[in-house]
Amino acid sequence: MRKIGLLLLAVGVLGLLSLGQEPRYGGTLVIGSSQTFKDLDPRICNDVYSMYVINAVFDELLSLDPDTLKPAPYVAKSWEISEDGAEITFYLHEGIKFHNGEPLTAEDVAFTFNWIADPANASPNQTEFEWLQEVVVIDDYTVKFITKPDWAPYAPALLGENYAIVPKDTVLEMGDEEFNLNPVGSGPFKFVEWKRGDHITVVRNEDYWLTKPYLEKIIFRPIPNLATMMLELETGGIDIADNVPAQDAKRFMENPDLGVVVQQIPSLSYFYLGFNMSKPPGNDIRFRKAVYMSFDTTAAVDAVFQNLTGLRAYGAVPPALWANDREFLKTIALSEDDEQAKALFDELKAEGVIPPGYKAVIYCPPDPRRVQISTVVATNLIENGIDAEVQPLEWGPYLDLLYRSEEKPEGEYDMYVIGWSGSPDPNAFLYYLFTSENATVGTANNFSFYMNERVDTLIKYAGTTLDPDIREPLYVAAQRIIFKDIVHIPLYHYIETRGVRTRVHDYRVSPTAAMDIVSPFNNVWVEEG
Amino acid sequence: MLAYTIRRFLQMFIVLFGLSVLIFVMLKMTPGDPAVIMAGLGATPETIQAIREKLGLDRPLPEQYWRLISGLFNGQIRAVTYHTSVWGIIFERLPATVELGIFALIIALLVSIPAGLLSAIYRNSPLDYGVTTVALLGISTPVFWTALMLMLILGVVFRVLPISGRGETIGVWSFVTWDGFRHLIIPSLALSSVLMAMNARLTRASMLEVMRQEYIKTARAKGLREWVVIVKHAFRNAMAPVLTNVGLQISTIFAGAVLTETTTAWPGMGRLMVEAINRRDEAVVLGLALFLAATAQVGYLIVDLMYAWIDPRITYD
Repeated sequence: MRKIGLLLLAVGVLGLLSLGQEPRYGGTLVIGSSQTFKDLDPRICNDVYSMYVINAVFDELLSLDPDTLKPAPYVAKSWEISEDGAEITFYLHEGIKFHNGEPLTAEDVAFTFNWIADPANASPNQTEFEWLQEVVVIDDYTVKFITKPDWAPYAPALLGENYAIVPKDTVLEMGDEEFNLNPVGSGPFKFVEWKRGDHITVVRNEDYWLTKPYLEKIIFRPIPNLATMMLELETGGIDIADNVPAQDAKRFMENPDLGVVVQQIPSLSYFYLGFNMSKPPGNDIRFRKAVYMSFDTTAAVDAVFQNLTGLRAYGAVPPALWANDREFLKTIALSEDDEQAKALFDELKAEGVIPPGYKAVIYCPPDPRRVQISTVVATNLIENGIDAEVQPLEWGPYLDLLYRSEEKPEGEYDMYVIGWSGSPDPNAFLYYLFTSENATVGTANNFSFYMNERVDTLIKYAGTTLDPDIREPLYVAAQRIIFKDIVHIPLYHYIETRGVRTRVHDYRVSPTAAMDIVSPFNNVWVEEG
Repeated sequence: MLAYTIRRFLQMFIVLFGLSVLIFVMLKMTPGDPAVIMAGLGATPETIQAIREKLGLDRPLPEQYWRLISGLFNGQIRAVTYHTSVWGIIFERLPATVELGIFALIIALLVSIPAGLLSAIYRNSPLDYGVTTVALLGISTPVFWTALMLMLILGVVFRVLPISGRGETIGVWSFVTWDGFRHLIIPSLALSSVLMAMNARLTRASMLEVMRQEYIKTARAKGLREWVVIVKHAFRNAMAPVLTNVGLQISTIFAGAVLTETTTAWPGMGRLMVEAINRRDEAVVLGLALFLAATAQVGYLIVDLMYAWIDPRITYD
């Protein structure tokens, strides 16, 4: 908590620093993205990098209050939820226009969400809307979301998602592919050009309904090499870097003369070491316990992230969210105890749960940080008498491995390291990672195949209401069971880290990794030069 | 000569066909279902199946191969993750790599040939040792590291050049604008370092070989001035192997471009290849590989034909 407090303090100090100066209109902001942009149509975009541009060009139905992480009005000025949670009615602001003059109405909202939810369109975002039966237009500025009967409890999930609205008539006229390359939104900036691989330019929407954006222009530049991005940030080639490695964050913090402020906030992410509980030895809690006690998790996380860009995790719900139960879960986290770990491994070997010649393979994606932590685990396992190795895999083969096949439903792995990022609701973490419904062969995300009826009931019941006073104790109870069962060894929550030049004001790093330049909560401006 | 050229073209098609099959097999053998990767973590089986059907990934392999190849030839196949035609995206990125490659080659030749020449003339002198040492460093230093060092020195320490990106362009070319030209310098220098080193060593070796020939002695015995002997008699003959090497360097340029472009955020074909492989965009990977292979083949053919022009003793039947 102390670290989070410090981070929030740093953000607060930044706010105070900019208080003395008057915002000005004009100037260009250059944003460096660590990945190339893929799609500019919000209906199919599922990568955070393209979302930087989409956030500038489009408006979302709802926004996210950066302080409370709760939904706040945006295009929808208010909303009502039916008592059974099966219907949400949104009332839209009137007078919003897309950049081509087309008014934004309930028709556009219904078209956007019905299109995403229709499996025939194969949108990568369709999964998020599995619960949605239909979006119905009530009148020009009223729209109703109706859920499928068995998914009604998940209607509140919508409030945690932010999806931008596309202009129905324009999309139908332009066609999906053309619209994706030349997007027309209603947001604070108008799309100008996309020089693929080099940059995307957007300019101020002078008629923006919410407020007049201070910036004249934004240039988004993909710079896949982080070392290059850091040099660009240092020399002012870019104003914001979306990713700052720990060693550079330290350098910028220690040298304020470089003119870069490092902004950080714990992101809505959770990284963990999971066990395959559908077969031995992962299905034996003694094995899971022994692995947990074989290494010092806090030391491993601190070493890899240099106490800067990763926060030790104790549960699945990130500390930025409610119902994280961090303080209690800390008390049940296991510390390194090699003697007890060895004793447990010996017991399991004697019983044949760990067969002779057993080798523990820890699978992980090709992310250096996860490889490093996996290596710490493997090294400690070897020291405790278990032969172990780390097997980093590219994403394609890694997903193939974790999704399993009908032929080998028990899976060909025992331990894996992976991460999960979700919307700002505990359900987004607990439902997908720990319920039986998600323990199906094929594509589900409960890769540990953890099945516990009590946990299922608690999580499902928590989804039947919007009342956080009812939901919170249910999620807390579910997590306590899960982490006493050691389904995962929680490793870390990534700390979203951005480098921002000191000439940039009113920018605030978001735990959802969004790039909010103009929103109901901020309007970025830059000093001259 | 004409018959030879036609024969070479036919051979080229056979090579390209073999290559296309090989790349297709490699793509199919690469673990990871493209539909799963495109759908992302958490996708439903229905979404994945819909993507599979949309891309024809549920069809038998020969049919998939035929769909890709025929689509590439008739221009109908789409680059799924780029939402445009395959050739559209390749030709969009081509000028950036061509520009980078040509500039790198020009810098390499301008530096390496005089360096190799001087090194050969002043053999075993400090100058020779200097050139050979620098050339050795150039060959053994990875391009991305050279690029980073150039960025650090020219971009951060002296702040005389922009660090990355392509800068302002007119049409598809950046060298025609001052800003674009400045952006071109660091990637070109980085990419040229390997070419430079190879060419300097080769020029030196080739010159030393030629200078030992009898006709050089004859030229000197005739009382010709040393520079005439070197430039008119030795240099032209020493250039044949260097020229071959330049032709062969087309593939080195493309290979080097992958690293140079990624490091310097240069939006060319090298980076496109990396992106397309990561996205499992099979049509782009195949189209790009065939395009690069065909370009290299044509380059080799041109070099072979130029042999005859440089050395009249060489003829092709």
